[in-house]
Amino acid sequence: MPLNRIRNFSIIAHVDHGKSTLADRLLEETKTVQKRNMKAQLLDMLELERERGITIKSVPVRMNYKAKDGEEYILNLIDTPGHADFTYEVSRSLAACEGAVLVVDAAQGVQAQTVANSYLAADLDIELVPVLNKVDLPAAQPDRVKHEIKEIIGIDAEDAVLVSAKTGEGMPDVLERIIRDMPAPVGDADAPLQALIFDSVYDNYKGVICYVRVKNGVLKANKTIRFMATGRDYELDEVGVFRPAMEPVEELGPGEVGYISATIKSIDEARVGDTITDATRPCIEALPGYKEVKPVVFCGYYPVERENTNQLREALEKLQINDSSISFEPENSVALGFGFRCGFLGLLHMEISKERLNREFDVDLVATAPNVVYQVVLTNGDIIEAHRPSDFPDPAKIAETREPYIKLSIFIPDEFVGPTMSLCQEKRGNYVAMDYLAPERVRLTYNMPLAEFILDFHDRLKSCTRGYASLDYEHMGFKADDLVKVDILLQNEPVDAFSFICHAEQAYQRGHSVVGKLKELIPRQLFEIPVQAAIGQKVIVRMNIKAVRKDVLAKCYGGDITRKNKLLEKQKKGKKRMKQVGKVAIPQEAFYAFMNVTKAEDK
Amino acid sequence: MLNPFVPRLRNISLYLHIPFCENKCPYCAFDSFTPNEGDVDLYLELIEKEVEWWSRRLGRVTFSTCYIGGGTPTTLTGPQWLRLTQILDKYFDFKSKAEITVEANPNSLKTEHLLHWRDWRVNRISLGVQSFDDAELIQLGRIHNSAQAHNAISAALAASFSVSIDLMFGLPKQTFQNWGRTLKESVASGVQHLSLYQLSFEPGSAWENMPKETLPDGYCPYRWAQWYLPRKGYMQYEVANFSRAGRESKHNINYWREGEYLGLGLGASGYLSGWRYKNTSVFREYSELLRLKKSVIVSGERLSLDAKSKEAFILALRMSEGINRNDYKNKYGELNEQNLIKTLRTFPNDLYEITKGNIALTAKGMRVANIIWTDLI
Repeated sequence: MPLNRIRNFSIIAHVDHGKSTLADRLLEETKTVQKRNMKAQLLDMLELERERGITIKSVPVRMNYKAKDGEEYILNLIDTPGHADFTYEVSRSLAACEGAVLVVDAAQGVQAQTVANSYLAADLDIELVPVLNKVDLPAAQPDRVKHEIKEIIGIDAEDAVLVSAKTGEGMPDVLERIIRDMPAPVGDADAPLQALIFDSVYDNYKGVICYVRVKNGVLKANKTIRFMATGRDYELDEVGVFRPAMEPVEELGPGEVGYISATIKSIDEARVGDTITDATRPCIEALPGYKEVKPVVFCGYYPVERENTNQLREALEKLQINDSSISFEPENSVALGFGFRCGFLGLLHMEISKERLNREFDVDLVATAPNVVYQVVLTNGDIIEAHRPSDFPDPAKIAETREPYIKLSIFIPDEFVGPTMSLCQEKRGNYVAMDYLAPERVRLTYNMPLAEFILDFHDRLKSCTRGYASLDYEHMGFKADDLVKVDILLQNEPVDAFSFICHAEQAYQRGHSVVGKLKELIPRQLFEIPVQAAIGQKVIVRMNIKAVRKDVLAKCYGGDITRKNKLLEKQKKGKKRMKQVGKVAIPQEAFYAFMNVTKAEDK
Repeated sequence: MLNPFVPRLRNISLYLHIPFCENKCPYCAFDSFTPNEGDVDLYLELIEKEVEWWSRRLGRVTFSTCYIGGGTPTTLTGPQWLRLTQILDKYFDFKSKAEITVEANPNSLKTEHLLHWRDWRVNRISLGVQSFDDAELIQLGRIHNSAQAHNAISAALAASFSVSIDLMFGLPKQTFQNWGRTLKESVASGVQHLSLYQLSFEPGSAWENMPKETLPDGYCPYRWAQWYLPRKGYMQYEVANFSRAGRESKHNINYWREGEYLGLGLGASGYLSGWRYKNTSVFREYSELLRLKKSVIVSGERLSLDAKSKEAFILALRMSEGINRNDYKNKYGELNEQNLIKTLRTFPNDLYEITKGNIALTAKGMRVANIIWTDLI
């Protein structure tokens, strides 16, 4: 296929603006999928994606299209996720494209991710085709939204395509515009092979499958290829395209998008962003790869049944194969036993990973409260990273503490400015700017500690703006702050599972709420239990759990002995489920509730 | 079903269950029901068959104590009682000073009962008084009132029986004053023995699904009884039992000392040579098996030495006297004793007392005994 008849594009949009439905219509329109085989959100393969109406993984699909100019074209659609957590995946997909369809809801207008994704596209020098979706809705205001696109993003949207992905209205125009406005790929079939891996998945039969975009040269089955990052060579088993199911082809030429399999056993061997070349005739330079993403939110995953640690490890390994942005390392908790400290790109990423483990790998797990990575500068000048409260050194050894900040953009109707600003203030946000994007639409910009953001910011924002807010954020690096580790002591012994890190000014309030919650949840025992919150040696909160005074004393005569024994055995089992910390028995619920406490304490 | 065993038959007790009640109390989870016409006579016939069955295996046993409980044994008329005691005398003997207790309800205890019991060998009566407060008695669904309770006690004492009464505390809305009055009236009535039970909503009772939160904390009434009764000459000799000196229930002490006992009747349990068994609780099954001259035992277990050592320890801790360390070590070994002591020592030391010869719970320990046992089992 000549290069000028190939178009590689993504669809970018804010969540819920109709990206996946639009993709479905394009597949129908090009007869890539018969209408009767159509299920909604076809490209969202994960069960979870369909259910939540979001896209997590990028899935490429090839469409054949006969344009009005009479020529046959190949259109490669590379789907992208729409949530801020997955910005990384978006930029990966965009790097494999020359153009992108920018979908904007004709009623809701420009939202936070519309802007963020447009900027990413502009950064990668990608041509945008604006499309206004949902024009069939009574609330649609195409002219206003066209104006917004011009005002906010800065691209001309006068001739934006008006469509309704729901009814199919305007679909042929979208296809025509893709061909007209997006540049064709450039490349040289005779040059040494250069193909970019923009994603990879693990298949039980074929091993690792790499999604590739060929820049130069030709990928052919049975050839020996080399991964430039590892320098390792593999024989190609299969070269193919997605229609949308995998379909082998003879070769993939320059500008084409497809997949390869080469009996690659682990995802580490075929890194996303790596360049594939010909082992016998290697290219000189690798294509620009991707910045490695660093996880920003951490939490502990523990199996519900303690003996299932290995099952959880295997599931995490498999999940990592499909999602290289997840990191994990074993950790041990007094309360929960053996588990893993896992790193994620964001809260949604964390939640989704938990659900995927549960559904796809059938693992029941408990997730601890999320936390961020802190930097601690020691008095001797060393800098350490604290992934969990127990990594925090003794206060006497700390010269400075730093926490990660994000730059947060919040898009809201102007009537919600008041409550949103006070929420940001409460969350230790620093005001940066307020811009009127349209007469009644405002963008608030704040710098905020990531730790405050992951606590419950999103939920609180939703409730104080009745769901009208949209937001986007980017990481700004670390900033010095007065952070302290608060330890919780039971009977004067610290219990690591209950420690937490917070700003010094919040220590008393949070300590109070945690201690109060524990007092409620730890059953009375035969002795008085002091529950304390302390910073270093300094106790800031103290409450007592009073001793049990009397238990129900059932009578016990001849006929009752067996029954009484069984009852005692049962009670003992109940007690065994509790975790013995020193002399104190703590029910599991206390640990779970503690995880919620850190989430809900400010409400 | 029945394991071969060789009963030691020394100091063996007899329990006989009368499963009939005039009406069922809502808190009660025992095997009892309202008898239809002819049920009582049929039951006596069946008891005779069961006694026969046992006597074929054990021979003519001499019992040290006997307890005829229920249900309500006073649902049997005088002639029916005559029949029952004739059956027992036909197959068994009782030691001359054997403690023989019958349970009775204040409203159904008749002079004919007292006369017959005295003529036979009954020397102790346990009365289900529960309370001397009429409102509480109604609340508990009892069919007697406090006046009937006083009359029954007086009559039993006058007929020179040793009298014990059951009392209940921890009733919803029970005030400290009400409970105090009930205890004072109990002391004034001249009974020799008191059993105190905290109300609980037992599975199998009519109240089993009542919300537990409506039950008050039993600390105050129990604590007060522990303080008050000893001052009036009733010593606490077990978690739930107080008595004047020498009037402790020998029959019940036998249970707590892991003594052997033969259990007879519907749903009764027994313990012979380290083997616990339970009879069927289903009347029809009980009667059919006996007609076929078969055993009515439906479950039995022989405890491991380890389980037995724990059970013995826990049962003995019910009593103020506690565990005789020498006896215990001889029976279960030093290691078992040391392990249990180790567990005991994880509790605050004002809950128990370990001396050279004894291990026992203190009065404070008795109040939280259940939690301690949970760790010991």
